Amino acid sequence: MRPSAALGIWALLVVVAGGILATRIAEKRAAIAGWEESRNVVEAFGLSDLAVTTEARYTRHPAVTDPLVPFMDHPGGLEHFPSGSFSAPVQP
Amino acid sequence: MTLRQRLQRQLNLLDYALATLWRRKLKNFGIVVVFTVVVFLFGSLQLMNRGLTEAAEAILKGAPDITVQQMSAGRQVSLHQTAGEEIEKILGVAKVVPRIWGYHFDEANGANYTIVGMNHDGQLSPLAEGRYPETGSSGEVVISREVQKSLDLGSRLSFSLFRPDLSMKSCTTVGMFGTHTGPVTADTIFMTMADARDLFQLGPHLITDLLVYVANPREIDNIAGKIASKIPGSRVITRSQIMKTYNVVYSWRSGFGGICLLASLVAFVILAYDRASGLSREDLREMGILKILGWQVGEVMAVRFWESVVVSFTAFLLGYGFAWVHVVWWQGMLFQPLMLGWSVLRPEFRFVPSFVPADLLLLFSVSVLPYLAATVVPAWKSGMVRPDTVI
Repeated sequence: MRPSAALGIWALLVVVAGGILATRIAEKRAAIAGWEESRNVVEAFGLSDLAVTTEARYTRHPAVTDPLVPFMDHPGGLEHFPSGSFSAPVQP
Repeated sequence: MTLRQRLQRQLNLLDYALATLWRRKLKNFGIVVVFTVVVFLFGSLQLMNRGLTEAAEAILKGAPDITVQQMSAGRQVSLHQTAGEEIEKILGVAKVVPRIWGYHFDEANGANYTIVGMNHDGQLSPLAEGRYPETGSSGEVVISREVQKSLDLGSRLSFSLFRPDLSMKSCTTVGMFGTHTGPVTADTIFMTMADARDLFQLGPHLITDLLVYVANPREIDNIAGKIASKIPGSRVITRSQIMKTYNVVYSWRSGFGGICLLASLVAFVILAYDRASGLSREDLREMGILKILGWQVGEVMAVRFWESVVVSFTAFLLGYGFAWVHVVWWQGMLFQPLMLGWSVLRPEFRFVPSFVPADLLLLFSVSVLPYLAATVVPAWKSGMVRPDTVI
């Protein structure tokens, strides 16, 4: 077998694997109807943020805090929560 | 030369390139591994951000049209309930709902709970278990599974929270949020407004914020402006601003994570350039022989190009595939500790990123293209080798 034929088989395998992954994603998306349920709760309580990072006020509610809040704990205070460095600063 | 012949020629060059790669399999395997890791890290971060942004977009569609808070000395403070009456007078406002909410730090386990106090009008969607607190009741709360676990309640329904003066407020669980709502309720304890006021010991007419619902969505910005001028020192947040925040917060350039990965990419490009440009004596001999056999500079460069394409595409596909499996099946277990930081309450969050060609193209542009660019000069150099100097 020519080496390029082997490469072609490898490319075909990748496409098949990609297809399998894609169908699994479709299944997962269908299974996660929880977003709808979450939206009902958000509507009911007027929530503004995801409860993904609960370590600090400004990482818990980034949508309703000022960009300055991470530095507000005391004069000269520095932002020091790990998840704070994960997100990009929001420009007004 | 016909098209068929041209294709056949490229196929032969590809065969030769593959044979060359196989001869130096150890060196090339090393590059593929490092390249795969770089693509995997970039891809994972990108897919996680995509999953989070999509979840935020889908879930926060239900956020109130306008949220009004009071600021003083650059900090959020309590708002007087009469502000709501002022807002109700604005033409186009359909409903104003007062709310008390805040954070309760549990010193025993270090968890930060979000307490939400509201009086509901009885038209809420059903809970996974139990019911909502009755208006007029005392101490009835709805909690999430995560809060139940964090408080170590087991099958008990009653627990106590400290007021600011360290007296205890008794609470009874009457309902439970479903596990599906974890992304928004993981740390939430819901109670009536009177209970929240009692827990935080707020004054009788003080509230945390006002939720304003507008009859015509086109009027939201206009009404937000009117509210800002009616209530001095207020912060008025519209739903579109909330959505914008989430689009920015979890963008692919997210903070230090992106910067660190960019640094690793630059390091990898330097490595690729170094590996490709460091021609061994054997490589030079091979080039010399090919030139003597009549190969042109363009053909030698084409072989080098095919080598780079095979290495970079293989690594790219492997890295992206691993990133997909890492994020979708393993919930981004490598990045989760970084993202969740020191959070004590960790919601069960399923990342369901959708396949976005633009994201794939972006990843391709920042990984494969720099690699191909870094190997162009070494390829040209090897093509320019004079046979008489190397054999």
